[in-house]
Amino acid sequence: MVAWTLSAAFALAGPVRAATDPLPRAPTQQFVAPAPGTYRLEVIQQAPAGRVLDSDGRALDFKQVTTGRITLLSFIYTYCVDPIGCPLAHATFATLRTQILATPALAGQVRFVSLSFDPVNDTPAAMKAYGGEYATANAPLRWYFLTTGSMADLKPLVDGLGQSAAVQTDADGRPTRLYDHLLKVFLLDAQGRIREIYTTAFLLPDVIFNDIQTLVIEQHARRPKP
Amino acid sequence: MKPHLGFLQASAIAASLIAAIGLTPLASLADETCNSPYMANLIKGQEEFIHVWTLGIDGMGDGSDKLVTVDVNPKSAQYGKVINTVSVGGRGESHHMGFTDDRKYLWAGRLDDSKIFVFDVGTDPARPRLVNTISDLMQKSGYVGPHTFYALPGRMLIGALSNDKTRDGVTGIALYNNQGDFIAKYDMPKTSINGIKGDGYGYDIAINPGKNAMLTSSFTGTANYMRALGEVIKDPAAMKHFGNTMVLWDLKAMKPKQIFSTPGAPLEIRWSLNTGDNWAVTATALTSRLWLIKEDANGTWRAKDVAAIGDPSKIPLPVDISIAANGKSLWVNTFMDGKTRLFDLSDPQAPKQVYEKVTGKQVNMVSQSWDGKRLYLTSSLLEKWDKAGAAGEQFLKLYAWDGEELTEQWKIDFEKEKLGRAHHMKFTARPTVLTATH
Repeated sequence: MVAWTLSAAFALAGPVRAATDPLPRAPTQQFVAPAPGTYRLEVIQQAPAGRVLDSDGRALDFKQVTTGRITLLSFIYTYCVDPIGCPLAHATFATLRTQILATPALAGQVRFVSLSFDPVNDTPAAMKAYGGEYATANAPLRWYFLTTGSMADLKPLVDGLGQSAAVQTDADGRPTRLYDHLLKVFLLDAQGRIREIYTTAFLLPDVIFNDIQTLVIEQHARRPKP
Repeated sequence: MKPHLGFLQASAIAASLIAAIGLTPLASLADETCNSPYMANLIKGQEEFIHVWTLGIDGMGDGSDKLVTVDVNPKSAQYGKVINTVSVGGRGESHHMGFTDDRKYLWAGRLDDSKIFVFDVGTDPARPRLVNTISDLMQKSGYVGPHTFYALPGRMLIGALSNDKTRDGVTGIALYNNQGDFIAKYDMPKTSINGIKGDGYGYDIAINPGKNAMLTSSFTGTANYMRALGEVIKDPAAMKHFGNTMVLWDLKAMKPKQIFSTPGAPLEIRWSLNTGDNWAVTATALTSRLWLIKEDANGTWRAKDVAAIGDPSKIPLPVDISIAANGKSLWVNTFMDGKTRLFDLSDPQAPKQVYEKVTGKQVNMVSQSWDGKRLYLTSSLLEKWDKAGAAGEQFLKLYAWDGEELTEQWKIDFEKEKLGRAHHMKFTARPTVLTATH
């Protein structure tokens, strides 16, 4: 089981930061999150089409995991050690999972997706191991740990979502195993439209929780009245 | 537990990823302190390139507005030289620029024809490429004069200066996604909040994510900024059409929460980047004052006039500010007297000027390196507001700051080089090495 915590994540900060840089910090929320339904989340763009593999190796249309429910999606790679990168995203998802499971009516309307941008290392089996108990198929809140079958399958998803990523080089200019990527967590509505994007400075669980509820309220308002 | 791959295998995988997916490294060596700083990690070192958004001058070179790239790496054989220009065609009052959230693209606006040019500076910052031109701002929003480009994740806030009907300063903020598609518009408030009436004018945007706070400032409309400054100043009716307010917004909701009275056209806004600080500063152009916007112990935000800039009665016209990375000092350029001034911000409630130097006959934008040791200056304010004759010199200059004295390192004469009027600057660096292990 891989159950990252923030403290564990920070303990891994050393290898990727220059010694003189201050330790990167998780964002702190110094405000009361606006109440759900009191604001509108704009439609930023449509999620791209594509193909992914679930943690059992089954091929899925990307639409299957980005429509029908409100989706919180993040690119990760399983061996990421940047404390304000994948481990922070994972810890934030875990916090939100607890909050959402405490509201059973909400749990059935939301899914989480962790999608690897390293199809070579992060095989379906590796993603299953990374997901651990969170990957349970019959959980009320499904958390998918996905990868892709090839770079060709990955590229349209990375490009289409606007997820920048790159391979870090060492002091001699050689590529390392580490990826430099601007952490982005995408919130999609049930129509597969991106309604919010959280970079590290905006990755605040209370705000994301209210954003999810705002989309639920919007969804209910759109349903035809009996 | 995943087996650890050998380096060669990992390198091959990484190289194949680069080749297959076309990813480019994100890291850049340096950054100034006045970009939307919370969108991406800033690397604090030596900047390699300065991009200068330059207004074309009729009869000078190709006469076109252009993005001028200068090599500013001291180790380069081209140090201090113009190494690339990208002409965009025509002249439309080129003014400000802003990076996208991943800092791979630079959006550059023109105040007259409201066109927005998107340059790829991530693939090869030494040779930016024009990859998109956005021409529908007026059609989609009714706003004109795209001024401030401030990145949010996956999208760009565009602070405009005017509108297509009255041509005064009533305007708003347009939101586009990173692909260049219009998403939404937000009018600057004209209603009263807590007894202070908004003037509806706009200029700069600055965000503090930890506070869910966005500040905006206010300048003037097309009718004034496209008219000769001397005429505007002598026209009492025109002088009534300058912004006198700042607005604090609920960023998440994009709704105005408070309006502050800050008379005399508050321009650039800079939040302190020092951890734990929750205040911002601005300078009012016409009244020559520094203002502090700060949350008090009760959670109420207040704007306070905290210092004069030079002798306000002489209208030195503060036009740009650059805050130190630690929030302890602020450079202020005053256009009319050509001075670059340093204020000690140790106590932001009482800034004190500690240094000044004449750095040009006219001086406009100022951008400092993250370590505060280098200061880049340009000369042009607006085509019709620049000084005439010899006083209207056009340049990019680098000064070194040793804590006591500014020393000019080099100057590029933008007239001699047949480039045009040098206005806004942005820093980039080639994709490069991060401290990494494998």
